[in-house]
Amino acid sequence: MKKEKENIGLRDLFSRKLGKAEVIPDASVKSDLMRRLARKEFLRFNASRFNIYYLGGIIISGITGLLLLSSYENTHHLNNSPIKEETFKTDSLNYFKIPVQQPDRKAQVISDNTLSIKNSNVSISHLSDKEGIKPTKIPYTNRDSVLLPTSINKSIGKKGLFNDTAATNQKLKSKYIPDELLIDPNASVGCAPLKVRFHNRSTSYDSCRWTFGDGGYSDKRDPEWIFDLAGEYKVVLNVYYDDGKQSSSVATVIVHPRPQAHFEVSPAKAVVPNDEIRFLNYSTNAVQFRWKFGDGVASESFEPVHIYSKYAKYNVSLVAISDWGCSDSLTVINAFSDSKYYIEFPNAIIPNSQGPSGGYYSSKSDEGAQVFHPSFTGVSDYQLKIFSKLGIVIFETNDINIGWDGYNKGQLCDPGVYIWKVRGKFRNGEPFIKMGDVTILKN
Amino acid sequence: MMSDQQIIKLCAKHDRKAQQILYDRYSRLLLGVCLRYATDKAEAEDILQDSFLKIFFNIKEYSGSGSFIGWLRKVAVNTAITQYHKNLKYRYHIDIEDYISVEAGTTSFEEDFFTSDELFKVLNELPAGYRMVFNLYAVEGYKHKEIAEMLGIDTNTSKSQYSRAKAVIRDKLEKLGKLKSIYSESD
Repeated sequence: MKKEKENIGLRDLFSRKLGKAEVIPDASVKSDLMRRLARKEFLRFNASRFNIYYLGGIIISGITGLLLLSSYENTHHLNNSPIKEETFKTDSLNYFKIPVQQPDRKAQVISDNTLSIKNSNVSISHLSDKEGIKPTKIPYTNRDSVLLPTSINKSIGKKGLFNDTAATNQKLKSKYIPDELLIDPNASVGCAPLKVRFHNRSTSYDSCRWTFGDGGYSDKRDPEWIFDLAGEYKVVLNVYYDDGKQSSSVATVIVHPRPQAHFEVSPAKAVVPNDEIRFLNYSTNAVQFRWKFGDGVASESFEPVHIYSKYAKYNVSLVAISDWGCSDSLTVINAFSDSKYYIEFPNAIIPNSQGPSGGYYSSKSDEGAQVFHPSFTGVSDYQLKIFSKLGIVIFETNDINIGWDGYNKGQLCDPGVYIWKVRGKFRNGEPFIKMGDVTILKN
Repeated sequence: MMSDQQIIKLCAKHDRKAQQILYDRYSRLLLGVCLRYATDKAEAEDILQDSFLKIFFNIKEYSGSGSFIGWLRKVAVNTAITQYHKNLKYRYHIDIEDYISVEAGTTSFEEDFFTSDELFKVLNELPAGYRMVFNLYAVEGYKHKEIAEMLGIDTNTSKSQYSRAKAVIRDKLEKLGKLKSIYSESD
């Protein structure tokens, strides 16, 4: 009997046997379905099914509306404050604008005095309307207040200005939970290049597309994007659902330009430690500067002048900080490697006729040119010899700080021409040998 | 008795009676579809409910051209796939490689030798991914390209999963067939 049956393939077997197979559902499925259907339809307004429930709903919502309206009027009369609305406006921006804290910024706030903090507080509303910066500023002062001298805290506390702002801030924050927002950038204000990680808050969706406002886009759920150039970017997130619907959300990312730290040393071949060195500041986009000269000395001037106390290799660094707290730094390693070492001698002296001085000199004490000594820099090894016309050594020293006073064995030498010879090494290892003559003039 | 066309019209107006008739008329067929995609009857009934909600609310979208039953099945299959995706992460995955060694035979089967229940049981024992592909390709008659899109997989994956599923089923049916013939002979 079996063999009379038609033999068929697997695919046909299943499609014939199961394709139209019927299974009787449980009775509860139907009643359940009808209940769910009724619930869903009830929530959808349908004029043709207008019934007592709708009527009741309308009446209830009408009454609640009236009640709300009257209570609103009451409160409106009681505290008639337009400030509230303003703070609300700015705060609605707040969850976009989580501040990117530059570590340097903190120090800046601290270094400011009481006055400037007040200023920043007062100018808040002003700033925010224009540039949306305010919300970032509040947390600054808020957080840093711990670090501020107590006197400042107290003065603020008494006036209550600061605390008030913080309090309303808090209140509004909890009231407007940003859950409806699909976008959650971890940072929306910062310095170029700014890396922002975006979070797509929507729970179930089919696909999404981020456009970053700089021509870039991503289909990832939580993309990371680097904004290279300064500017204000409108970041749009489009979310597509399986049923063809879509929704979109927008966030603004503000990228501030990064300053550029740049400086030069003047004179170009400055000699350490003798020269007075001026640092020429060519930084751009910066308002604040921090110099470190490499010898433990720092400065915050625009173009500082510095004299090093001894010879060494110095790394000079400059940190340039912009209005927005963006910073850039430049360090020049061994900044004075170009130093020009030299040793030069005069060609005449007028010895002191009152007696030998021992040859000690300094640039100040020897204004009368009474001692024969070099002007020099960067000399490590040194030997000076003075010869008479007959070739006899009449003076010799290995100490560069001792010159020839024009005396030989306690006797003032006769006026005339004498020969000098110097040999030694500069600090960079370069040897030098020099010869010349010096004329002793009569005092 | 109302025709499908009349029922569709009334359902579009959210007529409760028409909806009930529609359910009574097609729920058994659609449950048969859902069951093939679900792990058990309870899940199948859930899918059935969701499918009917979709059908009732979107019945206006049925253009009238093409078979109404086909449209209903399509809704049920899509709902089942959505459910499959939802469950995917919770489901225990059987290592597909276990089945690779199975040789694809060329045995053909007699249509009435196996009952629907037996076929369903064989189907239900397949790993979820195989089952989806086999159902969609062999029973529903979708093309591999369509299946790939529906399940979010590669076309080649669909093809290879189908051939592996086929091999597994064939193997199981042959064993079952042997058992059955032994029993029927002894009867």
